[in-house]
Amino acid sequence: MTKNFLEIDNVTFVASEKNKVNNVSLTIENQGDIVCLLGPSGIGKTTILRTIAGLEKINSGNIRLKNKLLSSKDTHVEPEDRNISMAFQDNSLFPHYNVLENIRFGAERNKKKKKGLNINEIIKFLHIDHVIDKFPHQISSGEAQRASLARSLLSNPDLLLLDEPLSNVDQSFKEEIQVKLKQILTEQKITTIIVTHDSYEAFYLGTKCGIILDQQLKQFDDPYNVYHFPNSIEVVNFLNRGILIPAKVTGENSLESTDLGTITGDFIKHYPKGSEVQLLLQPEDLEHDDQSKLKLEVVDRKFRGTNFIYTLKTPSNKLIPVFVHSHHIHQHEVDEKFGIKRPINIDHIVCF
Amino acid sequence: MGKKINIWYVSSFLISIAVAIPIVTVFSSFFETTGNYSLIIKNTFLYEYISNSLILLIGVLILTFVIGVGCAYLVSFYTFPFANFFKWALILSFAVPAYIYAYSLTAFFENYGTAFSILKNLFGEGNYNVHIPKFDGMLGAIISISFSLFGYVYVLTRASFHYQSQNLIELGKNLGFSKEKSFFKIILPSARPAIVAGLSLVAMETLSDFGSVSFFGISTLTTGIYNAWISFDDLALANRLSFYLLIFILGLFVLENLSRKKAQYHSPSKGGFKSKSLVVLKGYKATLALIFCSTVFSISFLFPVLQMLYWTIIFPKHLGDLNLIELFLNTILLVFLSSVVLITLAFVSNYGNRVSKSKFLETLTTFSISGYAIPGIILAVAFITFISWFDNNVINFFGLNTIKSIFIGSVFGLVIVYFIRFYSLASNGIKSGYLKINYSIDESAYLLGYSKFKTFKEIHIPYLKNSMLLIGILITIEIIKELPITLIMRPFNFETFATTAYVFASQDLLEAAAAPSLFLILIASFFILITSRYILKD
Repeated sequence: MTKNFLEIDNVTFVASEKNKVNNVSLTIENQGDIVCLLGPSGIGKTTILRTIAGLEKINSGNIRLKNKLLSSKDTHVEPEDRNISMAFQDNSLFPHYNVLENIRFGAERNKKKKKGLNINEIIKFLHIDHVIDKFPHQISSGEAQRASLARSLLSNPDLLLLDEPLSNVDQSFKEEIQVKLKQILTEQKITTIIVTHDSYEAFYLGTKCGIILDQQLKQFDDPYNVYHFPNSIEVVNFLNRGILIPAKVTGENSLESTDLGTITGDFIKHYPKGSEVQLLLQPEDLEHDDQSKLKLEVVDRKFRGTNFIYTLKTPSNKLIPVFVHSHHIHQHEVDEKFGIKRPINIDHIVCF
Repeated sequence: MGKKINIWYVSSFLISIAVAIPIVTVFSSFFETTGNYSLIIKNTFLYEYISNSLILLIGVLILTFVIGVGCAYLVSFYTFPFANFFKWALILSFAVPAYIYAYSLTAFFENYGTAFSILKNLFGEGNYNVHIPKFDGMLGAIISISFSLFGYVYVLTRASFHYQSQNLIELGKNLGFSKEKSFFKIILPSARPAIVAGLSLVAMETLSDFGSVSFFGISTLTTGIYNAWISFDDLALANRLSFYLLIFILGLFVLENLSRKKAQYHSPSKGGFKSKSLVVLKGYKATLALIFCSTVFSISFLFPVLQMLYWTIIFPKHLGDLNLIELFLNTILLVFLSSVVLITLAFVSNYGNRVSKSKFLETLTTFSISGYAIPGIILAVAFITFISWFDNNVINFFGLNTIKSIFIGSVFGLVIVYFIRFYSLASNGIKSGYLKINYSIDESAYLLGYSKFKTFKEIHIPYLKNSMLLIGILITIEIIKELPITLIMRPFNFETFATTAYVFASQDLLEAAAAPSLFLILIASFFILITSRYILKD
């Protein structure tokens, strides 16, 4: 017997021959945990959700929820018997019922399980109170998506599956909904798997994040670890939050880069002295210092509200991103020189 | 979900098999020995049968497409004088069978016919026959069938146009499309499944039409089948000719499926639907739209009704001889039983297909509904043949009482053959409704704890109730007008308006056929009118 809430053991998820995710093993230990699955479009993320929901069958491995075997080669519990709810990415509201009636379908399920979720509160926090009398064809895609989310939330499932739940939601209240959604899921201990392509959303909502690439679950870890300690070059490239530059290991805590000179810090993985490695440089790893003699050419500057991201060109034509707080008064234009503070010290050194 | 053999799969399979039995009978008869008549036919008339059927089919398809899509387009996208009237008035053409239309056409334009009488009354004696055009032969058949059947294309296309989002139209404008380009590149293609569904029904009806082509003396495959069976008692040849007809229909199916490829025609799925704002036509454009719609309405409905009414009035004795109440009750009984059976089984079969997602089942269903192309008389004969065989070989084997009287010459048997004949109509209608429901709707229901039966009962049936009403009306109209199956399968002394009209017409008493024809049209019109708001629900 396992104590894990959900166990996916060595399951291959197949949408089509070209579109499948092989041999996935994934565990949700505790009720109320939120797992976010990240990956490029068309990789099979939705197929994973559909399979867990029981809408697709599996040929190998098994899926267990609360110790109950749901799917294996010989077992398939029908979706209606799993108490798993799913909010689809597209409009899956019943077209002949209005929004309120649609949402009530969720509330009427498991109504014996009084969980404290109030239909009116959910409607209000999802900003759909003005459309509850309308029919699905009369509302926007974002409103339909939120109504679908409300229906799923209110159904008190053992496991909630959300497929890009906020992809059509206006940016103006997307963050507000994210905060409230996380609060509800945590308070009500609703175990959730969210598929998204928005890494910020995944890092915020998820207690764990899974990165799906090349038909595999490449990494499954805490959001912090996924970002700071990516376990493969593919994950680095997918997250697109840094670059890899060649370097040579010169000691227990140091390495040497042709472009940047000596870099010190704690290696998260041991490399023998003299090893040629690819060092991961993330935007926050380097600091700006106009007094420094290490100067690189600015090729681009992105204003992100709270910060600037400068793109600097090294002598070997590598493009390095550097984070600078936006209140930093002294700005640099494209083609100007940009000083990098030395000695360079990175808290944790990630190499491949 | 993956393929699974469950109660829905089995039900759907059995329904499709039941409908397919006559088709298999027709196919198997291809290998049977035929009489000498077959050689004569092959060397003489076969080419003529096929070419005439093709010409008739092409002519009717073009005319019904132009009339049906043209009217649907005008009333769906524009407002002009009487546009709201034409919305429902145009569907009254459903009430007029092609054979009654043919009688009217001939009666009006023939030498010394109604047109001649009108001209004579207006302008006195004259040699008007020379100037009155003659709509007989192939042209007469094409006109009769087209104006009788264009309603299928009109109703389905209009529904599709109605549910087209304003977004589509605006998208065309944004891309700089002219009105013509928007029509041909956006509006028409997105209504394509509906247009093709309408044209498929028209094609099948045309190919199995007997009444009007025999009236105009055109040799088609159906008249060939009749001749083979009635005149030469060669059932095997009749079946073989039916086989050629089936090939026609299957060819149409394949062509449509190939051309459509994998395009999906769901209603807008992301909640971006916007109702259309109708364009107000003014000046000569409004007049042209009014002329087009009123011409179609007058020719398709008013003309045959007035012609039949004229005959009924000037020959009142025939009206007095009719037992109207009995004819009415008989017709209603057949309509009610057949509609319930057809809609229920078509619904179950379609849901079975949807749930199981089985290619095999889908192919079997597609194959079985091609039975619509088999002329009613062949279906009836195939059914009688099958029951006789079953009675002799199975029932006798077990020493049970004969079942022939239960199935042959009974209302029960008649309803079964109607079921086989009109299954395509019911099944296609339900299928068309189902195309509007994304699979994620079903999946949402399952994930809310609904079983397949509950999903069927509480989600699909309420959503498709208007489709069911529409199908019920189409079945009603078809059965009221149906002739050959009723003639063969009906109980002794059981008459309907259609059989009564036919019996008089076959005795060359067209004037006597006018009264039952008129009542047939009026009853059908009544059904259309009381339910028109559902058919044309905005």
